[in-house]
Parts: sequence; structure tokens; C-alpha cells
Amino acid sequence: MASWLMSGSATYVGSMAVPAERTDAQVVRDVLSGERDAYRLLVRRYGGVLFNHAVRMVGSQDEAADLVQKALVSGYKKLASCREPDRVGAWLFRILSNLAKDFVRSPRRRDISLDRLPDIPEGSSTPFDTAHRGELRRRLQAALGSLTPEQREAFVLKHVDGRSYEEMAAVLDVPRASLKMRVHRAREALKELLEDFR
Amino acid sequence: MKEELHRQLDGEERANQLGEGPKTFSETDLPEELDAWGRLLGAFQVELAQSAPPPWLESRVMAEIEALPEPGRLKRLGNWLLAPRPLRVSPLLAGAAATAVLALLLFGRLSFPGVVQGPGEATVVYVQFAFEAPGAQSVAVAGDFDGWAGSHSLEDGNGDGVWTGRIPLEPGVHTYMFLIDGATWQTDPRAERYADDGFGNRNAVLAVAAPSA
Repeated sequence: MASWLMSGSATYVGSMAVPAERTDAQVVRDVLSGERDAYRLLVRRYGGVLFNHAVRMVGSQDEAADLVQKALVSGYKKLASCREPDRVGAWLFRILSNLAKDFVRSPRRRDISLDRLPDIPEGSSTPFDTAHRGELRRRLQAALGSLTPEQREAFVLKHVDGRSYEEMAAVLDVPRASLKMRVHRAREALKELLEDFR
Repeated sequence: MKEELHRQLDGEERANQLGEGPKTFSETDLPEELDAWGRLLGAFQVELAQSAPPPWLESRVMAEIEALPEPGRLKRLGNWLLAPRPLRVSPLLAGAAATAVLALLLFGRLSFPGVVQGPGEATVVYVQFAFEAPGAQSVAVAGDFDGWAGSHSLEDGNGDGVWTGRIPLEPGVHTYMFLIDGATWQTDPRAERYADDGFGNRNAVLAVAAPSA
């Protein structure tokens, strides 16, 4: 069956019945019942979101991938303790969040390896001269690295991911007021460190 | 930093309109400060642009899980018994079950009519999205339907700057935005409805009706 209804720049072009994907809660139940391979669905659903957050927290794709792997395996081992299986994505995010913050706190990670950061996409526009991108990158990462892990996480979720405080509170299970304070303090610190770049 | 600036950057309304109550910023300082912050936050968004996870991630995670010892039968049984699950029962069969219980009470015998699971199909509606972005390297649609990951890429096959793509959506009300070059969020200028996203921007709202039978 096809219908053609306009809604802004989104147009209905047809519909079809497809086998329903298992919900998160169903996947969790199936895994706990012994169907290990069902966990693959959660890896596919949330691997990308977890990876991007990890990269933004630790500044290295290799180390971010290791952390995500660790978080997902840890999630599998502790799956029976997930109290809200229909929100298993947020639960996995919290596991990764804690691992990433611990990692950033660890002494060996104080110096971020800038060489391993992903390349800035070609054609992306910034208000800054592209000739100064290397310097800009170092300054931005160093400034982020100077924040506490909690401030860095809150700043990234708010101003890079564009999450609202309500969404952040729901995902991190942290009061909205605390998150707001972390973002405010992060901005204060970044303003001091990057005054000449603004 | 002044509270007024924080409120603006948080996407919240100002407590005092300019001209009312004590001013925490001069009328000229605030736009300059906001402009400076806009440049800085834009630089962070470019620097921390989304990237795809390595292709080996899934296989490594699953290999590590496969290498773990199998949970014992008792543990699996415990998990199965403790996990909450919905049951779908047809009214006819529920009535039959009630009748059987009544028959047991009346005649001392019980029969189980059984429980039937639904067919496990959901309807999706294909929605065509279009966005004009000449010069963009990539355009994706992100919304509540993909956890705002921007996983649905649009294409500009003929290079005319109009990016299009068809996305399967379940019937219901969805919010979405366009993600340009993996870094810049744009509200659909042609949406019929909008909703505040809680931090000063507007999401486009799309109501997808279920197809009639």
C-alpha cells in the first residue's frame, strides 16, 4: 500500500509490513535465557553511540574502541542486574561513562595522544583559519583534558551532542542541577583557557 | 561568567528581559559574548565530529562473550523465571480459560486452552526526506527513531544540492533534525510543526499515520 502525503520536506512514499525487530527488553530476556548471540543486536544498536562518546572522552579512536568493547562485555556479564531492560541502552551508556571517566583519571592518560585523533572532515567549515587547525586541535583537546572527567562528560553531552539537561539526567542518572553546575564550571574553565580563540 | 550568559548558552529563557529589573549584562556585551561562544562551540563540534566505530568491534565483543563459560542451567532458569515478560492472550482464549477454570470448579476437571503469541510483525511507513544543502559533503537525518545518531544518510545523486532519501518509520509522532557534514544541526525549515528541544533549538515534528487496512 502506498500513500503520498506531504509534511514539510518529509513525504510518505509507501508502507509495508516487516518482521518486528525485537525490543531491547525482548533481547535482554532472550540473552538471559541463554541465547547469547542475541546480544549482537544490542552491540549493533548502541555500539555507535557508545563509540562516539568514548572518542570524545578519551580523544583516541583505538582507546575508545577498547573501552567500548570492555563496556559491552561487562554489560553482558552483568545483564541480569539491569533493572529496566527496555532502557538497556542508557544502562550500557552508564557503564561506558564510568569506564571512560576512570580511564581519563588514570595517570597514564593525562596526556592525550593527539596524533591518534580522527581527521577533521574535508570541507567542514570553522570560523578559524584552516592553517591553524593543528594548533586549534591541540588547544581544544588540551582544554578539554584539563576539565574533570565529570565536567568534560557534561560539556560534551550538552554542547557537542546537543542533549538537553533532561536527557542527560535520564541517561546518566544524575540530578539535572548537578549536570547544569558541571556544564557551567566547564564553560568557566574553557573561557579562561581559550580566551584568545573565542 | 555572568548568569545571564549561562542561561542563554543553556538555552533557557532569561529571567529578566532587557529593560526590566537589574541588568547583569550590558545590551552590547551579551551578543558579542554569545557570538564568541558560538564560534568556540562550533570549533568543538567540528573537532569532536561523529565517527563510525571500527568494523571489528562487533566481532571482537561477540568473540569475547563466546569465550566466556556458559551460564549454568540453574542460573539460566533463574534469569528466565525472574525476568518480567508481557503475555498476549486473545479474548476468545481468555474466555475459554475462564470457562475451563469454572468447569474445574464445577466438575473437578481442568483443561488448558493455551496461550497464543502474535504474528510478530510491525508496520513501517516509508517517508521521503529532502533537504537543500548545496556544498554539503553529507546530509543525514537524525531523530528519536535512531537515538539521534544520524544513521540515515541522504543522497545527492545529481549534485544539485538537494539531498533525498527514504527512511522507514513506525507510525507515531517523531522529532528529527538534519545533520550536515556530521557536525552542523539544521531544523527542517519546511516542517509543519516544531518542538523545543530544551536547549534553545527547535526539532521538527513529523506525525506518521498508520496505513489504513
